[in-house]
Amino acid sequence: MTEYIVKDKLTFLRALASSGYNLIAPISMKNKIQMAPTDPDKVDLDYLNTFLSPKSLFFPQTEKMMAFHKDLTKSDAFVYKPLGLDQVKPSVIFGLRPCDAKGLSVIDKIFQNNRFTDPYWNTKYEPSVKIGLACLNPGPNCFCTAVGGSPFGEIGLDAITLVRGNGFGLKTLSAKGEEFLKNTSGLEIGDLTGEIADLKKKVEASLPLPLDLSKVQGATILSIFNQPHWKTTADRCLNCGTCTFVCPTCHCFDIQDEQDEEGGVRIRNWDTCMSWLYTVHGTGHNPRPTKTERMRQRFMHKIKYIPMKQDGTCGCIGCGRCVQLCPVNIDIREVAKQMNQG
Amino acid sequence: MMSLEEISQKIQASAKRLLTEGKVEVVIGYRRGSIPMMAAPHFARTEDDCNQLIWTSFARTNLAGYLSKFSGKVAIVAKGCDARSVVGQVVENQILRENLYIIGVGCLGMVDTELIQAKEPRLYREVTEDITTIKLFGADWNTNIVKEEVLRRNCKTCLSRTPKETADELIGDEVQPLPNDNWADLKALATKSPQDKLVYFKNLIQGCLRCYACRQACPLCYCPVCFVDETQPQWLGKSNDEMDTLTFHILRAFHCSGRCTSCGSCEAACPMDIKLREFNRILEEEVQKEWNYVPGLSWEQKPPLTTYRPDDEADFIK
Ligand code: SF4
Ligand code: SF4
Ligand code: SF4
Repeated sequence: MTEYIVKDKLTFLRALASSGYNLIAPISMKNKIQMAPTDPDKVDLDYLNTFLSPKSLFFPQTEKMMAFHKDLTKSDAFVYKPLGLDQVKPSVIFGLRPCDAKGLSVIDKIFQNNRFTDPYWNTKYEPSVKIGLACLNPGPNCFCTAVGGSPFGEIGLDAITLVRGNGFGLKTLSAKGEEFLKNTSGLEIGDLTGEIADLKKKVEASLPLPLDLSKVQGATILSIFNQPHWKTTADRCLNCGTCTFVCPTCHCFDIQDEQDEEGGVRIRNWDTCMSWLYTVHGTGHNPRPTKTERMRQRFMHKIKYIPMKQDGTCGCIGCGRCVQLCPVNIDIREVAKQMNQG
Repeated sequence: MMSLEEISQKIQASAKRLLTEGKVEVVIGYRRGSIPMMAAPHFARTEDDCNQLIWTSFARTNLAGYLSKFSGKVAIVAKGCDARSVVGQVVENQILRENLYIIGVGCLGMVDTELIQAKEPRLYREVTEDITTIKLFGADWNTNIVKEEVLRRNCKTCLSRTPKETADELIGDEVQPLPNDNWADLKALATKSPQDKLVYFKNLIQGCLRCYACRQACPLCYCPVCFVDETQPQWLGKSNDEMDTLTFHILRAFHCSGRCTSCGSCEAACPMDIKLREFNRILEEEVQKEWNYVPGLSWEQKPPLTTYRPDDEADFIK
């Protein structure tokens, strides 16, 4: 791990853009801050967090996975061929908030682990260099600290930066980050240890206290599953799915085949456990027949199943997006409290 | 002018009375949300529940959509547009009039939080409101914003702010419409060429996630299976293909034509801030022009596009 001082923001962003990697950073699109490929000059650093989560960089809303053609004069007519798996120019992503970087690492463990690897995720996620931007001014609905994170969190990042005058303080966090940054111009070796520790303490103190999830951890799945509060909360849930689409750790998808006269494609689209269609069987039977079961699934997955499978890491990273955008104010923190009460 | 607290107290009193007298089993209204600028739909069954009922400008979702989920007698707190949607539920046979009690509230309009944040982009810690003003508090600052300047678009042009035609009781002052022309911008659109209209509509839906939050938040979208969810046959692709997305929006607008009350629930639910009510408004105007019909003001009249008479004067239908 090396600590650097970056004198000037723009010089640094320009250096990133000319590194042979694609620069992806926060920019303003239709009045909303989003992560997207950009010129260094257009990067907008005055943001709380990106409006949508950065998961779409590696797991887009719609992704063509395979295609075939119908030209019978060729021998490979009607044969599906994979798309988008060739070695692509890797990206350097600047400005990820620590909560979102942790969220991406939660999906990463689901999309690539010792049982299988999702090549569509892997081709994009693996080679990318992820540079975080620590939060000095968390928003009214941020609660990373309530679910084991920090505004200076390092999980899922190759380096982290913090705004410092006209430039940044920068700390590398992985061998990949170290290697990528060592040749970047405009960096001076510095010592940030004390500064980061002080700021981290100060900013963390302005954020919520950890949620008590001890009982959820100890309880059996079925006992939480059968708690009475699910029905009461679900009464007002619209099953609109907004929470799942904006969430940095929701990753469910649906695969569809589409064709026209010339050929066809296999497409993967974001899907949502809040939809009845998500679980309905070919027979018409639906194991999650009402909105209560569907809403329960989302919160069980975040607060019970993911921690069970990922050594206690909560599936919610506290970005607050669903809390802010749920039209009927279903607040995951309140649901978590109810789950913990038994 | 009656204060928000007074209106809230009257709603609470009325809810308690209805529950104690056994007139209804539940009162649907709003309570304070868990975060600033947010209200939560609230189903009051006990005295404690009733004490949480409030009146606020931060209501987002039209409550009329919840009515058909209850089988017994229900009371609902309704502003002008919501009351019209409630009437729609009765006219379209989704609920029974005799199971329903409308607590009408004269409404000065709901606010658009995006507009508030455009006016005051600094990070707030707390937000309070009174009947005409919103107050934002930051770490070392505070700002007042006049509600009338940040109203939701539909509230600026609403013609039925007080549900006096249909409510079983009215709370608060009778509120008069604002002097805005609902159709002004549609006139410009009408003069565009079909190609330009297509461009306009495509721009309108840019960024749509196909999440269907708009549909879920809409009290008219009660079909057990929406056409976009049909699988046998599958009418529509599921990706973010522009034409598929546009088809969803246009077809939904046609399904809602002559029924939409411009409550804005769809736009308030949309995470992507898509102004999809544009589609509905165009048809709303058409229906008003053709049949002189405004939905949700009468218990008897059916939406023109859902009725059929053998002696219909239009001959294209015979
Ligand atoms: S955003 Fe809210 S209403 Fe919509 S599905 Fe999620 S919890 Fe339910
Ligand atoms: S559950 Fe909500 S707060 Fe938690 S990570 Fe997902 S969107 Fe963010
Ligand atoms: S318009 Fe908005 S709410 Fe409707 S499907 Fe598109 S993104 Fe979702």
